[in-house]
Amino acid sequence: MAIEIATVATTHAPAVGGPRRRTLGPLVLNLLLIAGLGLMTVISLGTGAVHISPRAIFAAMFWHRPLSETERLILFHLRLPRVLASGVVGSALALSGLLFQGLFRNPIADPYVIGSSGGATFGASLGITFLSQWSVLGFSATALLAFAGSAATMALVYSLARSGGKTNVVTLLLAGFAISTIFMNSSYFFELFDRTGNGIGNQVLAAWLHGVIGIPGWTSLAVSAALLVVGILAALPLMRTLNTLVLGDEYAQQLGINVEFARVAIILIGSLMTAVAVSLGGVIFFAGLIVPHVARLMMGPDHVRLLPVTALAGAIFLMLADTLARTIFAPSELPVGVLMAFVGGPFFLYLLRKMKRNYTV
Amino acid sequence: MSSLLRLDDVHFDYQGNSVLRQTTFQLEEGSCSALIGTNGVGKTTLLRIAAGVLRPVSGQIRLRERPMETIPIKEVARTVALVPQQLELPFAFTVQQVVEQGRTPYIGMLRGPGRSDRIAVDRALDLADVSSLRDRVFNELSGGERQRVKIALGLAQQPRLLLLDEPTQNLDIGRQVELIDLLHFLRDEGITILASMHDLHLVDKNFSTVLLLSPKEMNQPLVSGTPEQILKPSLLERAFQCPPDRHPLLIERAELYRKEAR
Repeated sequence: MAIEIATVATTHAPAVGGPRRRTLGPLVLNLLLIAGLGLMTVISLGTGAVHISPRAIFAAMFWHRPLSETERLILFHLRLPRVLASGVVGSALALSGLLFQGLFRNPIADPYVIGSSGGATFGASLGITFLSQWSVLGFSATALLAFAGSAATMALVYSLARSGGKTNVVTLLLAGFAISTIFMNSSYFFELFDRTGNGIGNQVLAAWLHGVIGIPGWTSLAVSAALLVVGILAALPLMRTLNTLVLGDEYAQQLGINVEFARVAIILIGSLMTAVAVSLGGVIFFAGLIVPHVARLMMGPDHVRLLPVTALAGAIFLMLADTLARTIFAPSELPVGVLMAFVGGPFFLYLLRKMKRNYTV
Repeated sequence: MSSLLRLDDVHFDYQGNSVLRQTTFQLEEGSCSALIGTNGVGKTTLLRIAAGVLRPVSGQIRLRERPMETIPIKEVARTVALVPQQLELPFAFTVQQVVEQGRTPYIGMLRGPGRSDRIAVDRALDLADVSSLRDRVFNELSGGERQRVKIALGLAQQPRLLLLDEPTQNLDIGRQVELIDLLHFLRDEGITILASMHDLHLVDKNFSTVLLLSPKEMNQPLVSGTPEQILKPSLLERAFQCPPDRHPLLIERAELYRKEAR
């Protein structure tokens, strides 16, 4: 009888050992991405209003061939912190996008769509306007408020979308969108407050709201990078759980997963990553949406494999975007957030179209 | 034979509506049972309760003579697998990746899948006869193929008890028969089976026991017995609230019983 089944089932299936779909050797890809990240860093460092050739940078790094004083100043005090910051922001955004997309089982979830960056933006605006000098244990009030805002909005959006033990994804996205919009725009309200009296506070906030990465201090950069590493390490053991959650909450529960715990942990890490990105880079749309999506197209949907790829690709992607943003109209700068809106918006629409064909939610 | 699963006076409410009342039955190890009843009578709920996903409002569930609530969820997941009616995946997981999820109750948070997990996945794919589909994308499979992959996913849990929620739904008659054959094959492998079934024609010859869930108005919420005992026109007519002369199955069964009575 078993043989009978076998013949029927194999007639409409491809041969065993046929080509595997949509996979690239994960090790190879990660090594390529690491190399790409290094290369991108050097290119970004060299590019800008003042051009410094990659060769000169390599010469300074490996053969101790000194750069001129101006070049040194530009490289280490202006560009390096900014390039590193854009890497951290990109990585954090991509990671939170990956976490939210997996958790909410939806490829269009990202920190902005879901509302977590709205909350983070609101919190950070509060911090920038009123508490810019405050810090607790090395964390600036801005960063702490960004995290609090991000986590609080996620909790709110999530509880709005829950009913009868189930999460309605459509409600979730709509609630996220509404809350995101409310918080994002009320942040502009803070521009009315200017405590310095000469318009500088205003400008800092306005630039930040447009998504200018700026030149962060080394302390805040180090803290953000450390938080990013913590986030990646904390997310690592949850990736397999995320794969299981793709089957649905109830199925995951049936397989012995503590769904409530996993969910809270993933939301917290995602919110933390959003806060890192927002407090360092301001409002940057779509990076958290595009990077995990493209990574998934290349690697398949296994989150364990996606985590390192997404983190690396996110860093490269935003470094590239930020470098473009500051060079296209040099010496003027386009906020990277604005550039991303132009690139990301159409991509988002393309996704929507594609989803309409593939899924009926 | 020992009882694998026993429900004792189980009651369940869904948002204030009572769905199951005074439900009592037991499943013998190695049996192959069908669960029948009208739409919305609580078949899916009963399966979920049996899988430990839902906790009843009152009553007791015993899995291998141990109260369900005292067994850690991972251990329940290693004993009972529930194959749901529908499985929608938002991303393009391959069949292999889907079936690997069945190993979740065996894999620790920090440890990856090991050799025994790979063997179990291969065996599950083999048993459900979907080894040749392992690199295909789940969402691109046909209904019959999906059903088999869902069963493979359940089998990867290496369960003693396999619960299936309407496994023959949306299958053509050829695939239905294949599926029934698969269930028999799994029973012969020593797995106890409980499947909710919509198509009563398939229940008759293929299951050793039938559990009939009746709507609220009836005084006996659940009756069980052999197909001959349960698939009586009189019982079906009341449980399904179907006029006896309006459905070919009931007419057919009525004739059958008349012949036997003669």
